[in-house]
Amino acid sequence: MAYKPQYFPGSTHIADNRRKQLDPNHKLEKIRDISDKDIVLLMGHRAPGQAYPSSHPPLSEQQEPNCPIRKLVTPTDGAKAGDRIRYIQFTDSMYNAPCHPYIRSYLESYRYRGMDPGTLSGRQIIECRERDLEKYAKELVNSELFDAARTGIRGSTVHGHSLRLDEDGMMFDMMQRRVLDKKTGIVMNVKNQISEPLDAQIKMGKPMDDKWLKAHSTIYHSLVGVGTRDDQELVDYIQRIHSLRVKYGYLPQE
Amino acid sequence: MTDTTFPQVRIATERLLFPETLERLLNKIFSIKGVRRMILNGPRLPAVVPSGPAKGQPNIHEMRRIIKAGNQDIQLEVHVGTILLELENRESIPALKAACDEVFTNFSYRLQEGRFMKTEPSIVDYAKYGPDADKRILGLTDPSSKSGPIIIQGTK
Repeated sequence: MAYKPQYFPGSTHIADNRRKQLDPNHKLEKIRDISDKDIVLLMGHRAPGQAYPSSHPPLSEQQEPNCPIRKLVTPTDGAKAGDRIRYIQFTDSMYNAPCHPYIRSYLESYRYRGMDPGTLSGRQIIECRERDLEKYAKELVNSELFDAARTGIRGSTVHGHSLRLDEDGMMFDMMQRRVLDKKTGIVMNVKNQISEPLDAQIKMGKPMDDKWLKAHSTIYHSLVGVGTRDDQELVDYIQRIHSLRVKYGYLPQE
Repeated sequence: MTDTTFPQVRIATERLLFPETLERLLNKIFSIKGVRRMILNGPRLPAVVPSGPAKGQPNIHEMRRIIKAGNQDIQLEVHVGTILLELENRESIPALKAACDEVFTNFSYRLQEGRFMKTEPSIVDYAKYGPDADKRILGLTDPSSKSGPIIIQGTK
């Protein structure tokens, strides 16, 4: 029988959501439409329409060493062109954000090529060639992994993922890069990810309601959703791994 | 430093407060007799961007503004989520509860009685702020800060 990856253990809807997001064959639902130009403005690495600055000549103009690995691996578009390495960084609120750093890094590693994810407790950074980054960032921001109120794009001063929400349901942001328009109910980006004010506001769409967030969250949280201990299958799995590791170290034989 | 005989109260809200909500609450609290000292706690809102490529640029933030509470203008430098109070006696607590009930209608809050302020200066306090530190705010906030405490005309 062919091996079929299971991606994640657990019997709750949180585990289900994790499995869905991690599975590269599962197409992420598109819930908003942020344009290429707006993604470039949000990240603030270059002006929209500006040519991609490069860190080395295109690979076609370089003499490549005779390396078997280079022959095996097809370079991404950004690598071919010699683009700079640039980043986007996400902050996910613990109050039922649709995704979170650990799962983000895993799912991106399954789905994208030529990128380097950095996983921290409150933020997750992706580093890759600039034109690849723009493509990946657009997909991530437009997908179900992103909520206008509970997910932030924050290059610096990311603090806020574990704090209480604001009265209007927005995640705390020391730099207030995003504001909720009280009249329209639409979240507007007023600064880019490094807190520089934008010339024109970028519409991020309406924040999802609590019901949707609860149903789509991948975060175990006993106060606002499902606690880890409520997922018996997951607890059993973690205990099994822990037990095997303690008893047999790196030679797991029962 | 506080005297251990004075009761203390902590108001913690489910959400971080908008300046307007805080203004309403403070105005209600200031009309209650017997509040000796108060500190507004929450994550800091810096005036300028503290790090990154935009370091030093002004930080435009809706929550960092001046509110009018009592007879004073108060510059908010934090996004308030917790309020600590020191009271003359426990008789003010029901009035505080009533004020909170009136203001926090869209989300819950918790009003706890306990010991939340320092009663003795620590060795670190002495090392940091010296022997002449302002005793009124030592243990609440940085006594060497240039902006001192705000004194509201009492109703005693």
